[in-house]
Amino acid sequence: MSAITLTDVCKSWDDFEALKNINFTCEEGKLLVLLGPSGCGKSTTLRLIAGLESPTSGSIRIGDRDVTNLPPVKRDISMVFQNYALFPHLNVAENILFGLKARKVNKAEQEKRLKDAAGILGLDIFLGRKPAQLSGGQRQRVALGRAIVAHVPVCLMDEPLSNLDAKLRQEMRQEIRSLQQRLGMTMVYVTHDQVEAMTIADKIILMKDGGIEQHGTPAELYNKPATAFTGNFIGNPPMNILKPTKEMLSLCNTMIPDSVRGEKLLIGVRPENIELREEDGCEVTVVATEYLGADTLITCRVKEQTFILSRQGRLVFSDGETIKVGWSLEHTHLFNSADGKRIELQGGGK
Amino acid sequence: MTPPAGLGSSQLEIITMKTVKGIETLGAWILGALWFLPVVFAFWSAFHPAEYSTNFELFAPLTFDNFVRAWGYAPFPRYLLNTFFLVTMILAAQFVLCTLAAYSFARFNFVGKNVLFALVLLQLMIMPEVLLVENYRTISSMGLLDTIPAIGFPYMASAFGIFLLRQSFKTIPNELVEAAQVEGVSAIGILWKVYVPLARSTYIAYGLVSVSYHWNNFLWPLVITQSVNSRPLTVGLAIFGAPESGVDWSIITAATVMTMAPLLIAFILFQRQFVQSFMHSGIK
Repeated sequence: MSAITLTDVCKSWDDFEALKNINFTCEEGKLLVLLGPSGCGKSTTLRLIAGLESPTSGSIRIGDRDVTNLPPVKRDISMVFQNYALFPHLNVAENILFGLKARKVNKAEQEKRLKDAAGILGLDIFLGRKPAQLSGGQRQRVALGRAIVAHVPVCLMDEPLSNLDAKLRQEMRQEIRSLQQRLGMTMVYVTHDQVEAMTIADKIILMKDGGIEQHGTPAELYNKPATAFTGNFIGNPPMNILKPTKEMLSLCNTMIPDSVRGEKLLIGVRPENIELREEDGCEVTVVATEYLGADTLITCRVKEQTFILSRQGRLVFSDGETIKVGWSLEHTHLFNSADGKRIELQGGGK
Repeated sequence: MTPPAGLGSSQLEIITMKTVKGIETLGAWILGALWFLPVVFAFWSAFHPAEYSTNFELFAPLTFDNFVRAWGYAPFPRYLLNTFFLVTMILAAQFVLCTLAAYSFARFNFVGKNVLFALVLLQLMIMPEVLLVENYRTISSMGLLDTIPAIGFPYMASAFGIFLLRQSFKTIPNELVEAAQVEGVSAIGILWKVYVPLARSTYIAYGLVSVSYHWNNFLWPLVITQSVNSRPLTVGLAIFGAPESGVDWSIITAATVMTMAPLLIAFILFQRQFVQSFMHSGIK
């Protein structure tokens, strides 16, 4: 029993409201990613679950226990920190066993768990080294080792990969994911990197300004963004959010049902869903093209608004050239321009 | 392509840099020599008969006679023991008191924290000599006149130590503390397992400063002690300089060499560690 449930959790410092009415559940054995730009409250949420901060109001449950007022050690959690939090004066083995020593686990058991963790993480030959003698990826593994030997059902991760280079980050996130599944841990993982979130999460919670924008599977966040912010945050390059000026409306004239015509709208469309058309497309001006190898990104302009479209392969346009583009109804996302909320198309799209 | 004749700007820069470097080295040598000459003189005079103490002759006869005479003049083993007790006691008390004070200033929030810390800093700005009379009165009222703890008491809650350790504790990343908290380590455990080991170089550097200061301290021990039982080396040494016993440079220097020898040997042995600690702890 290690599901994590937050109910009406608020946190404020003096007059700054860091979290406003947070409600969510992370199911047992699942990996939940808290995603968002810096300052959105995702780390604060994690620290509340860990017990390093206490909420101003609301309650936190882990499994069937209310842990709102318990100190971290009584919550049966392990935590991996952004800068790994390795003690520079202790070697790898001592660092991994730090928590077990503090909890007075017996020596034989310590040895056994250390051996298991070192085996899983490939740290056997480094056990005698000091953190300063390790590379970034190895330090990350030691930090993971500390979480593994704790043998607790909940693991909290605070941007664990942000100090690694891109290639290592990819390796490590796969490793973390497979570790989480193999050990059946309930994991809450904080990151600002949407690619990381999309690739490892069972569920993602996207946060903004201390509130939850959307809670769902990666596919839901991608295919059915609940707000314009979500659409723009998830996906690379981000979703184009366009204002319905006269030109833009004429560009997608056929695509907006009359039922929502009257409202103030934002039109969202993903770059990969914009097609190049021969005949019935609308004319736009190419501003720039970027060739990425597998894809080409083409930045286009209609009057004051620019948007990006992405096509596979290599396409060559000269700047200032006029091309015809369009997109189909099922790829049109409509948002209310006042609050950014999604407007469902009747009978349209998925 | 060869550069044109004459000095290019880059060459000029290199020459300027070399000159500056040269002047710096020369300055360092002069300062070093200024510091070292009295030591050389002390050694020279201590190991030669009195008639050579102020004139230099390369092959002057060596002698240990001065040491033997100085040793006989005063109870040196007792003084040495007193000084050793004194510095050990002060250092131990300082480590305990300063560590606890610095920990509370560095990590906890309490009412009046800033005022208290300002008071601690204020103590740094008062010369200990100013408090000579007041301290004497306090010690006297405690009935501790002429004892070794009396010499140490005024220095135990060292403002310098508190300040130094607080600075060093403040550089320790909060993440490490939180990692320990998650594992259930208590506040005292965090001090002992996280803060103290990570501030090791500061402790070494501060220990060196403290030991050498109290080994050499003179005025306060002179005022507060009267008997052989409590006098440290420096005060004991002073009787050699007293007019009634006459000024015998050979004996004074021999006694001085004996006084500073333990520190000098310790410094030479641990020189590398000391220098590294100072680099780490930012005291220069």
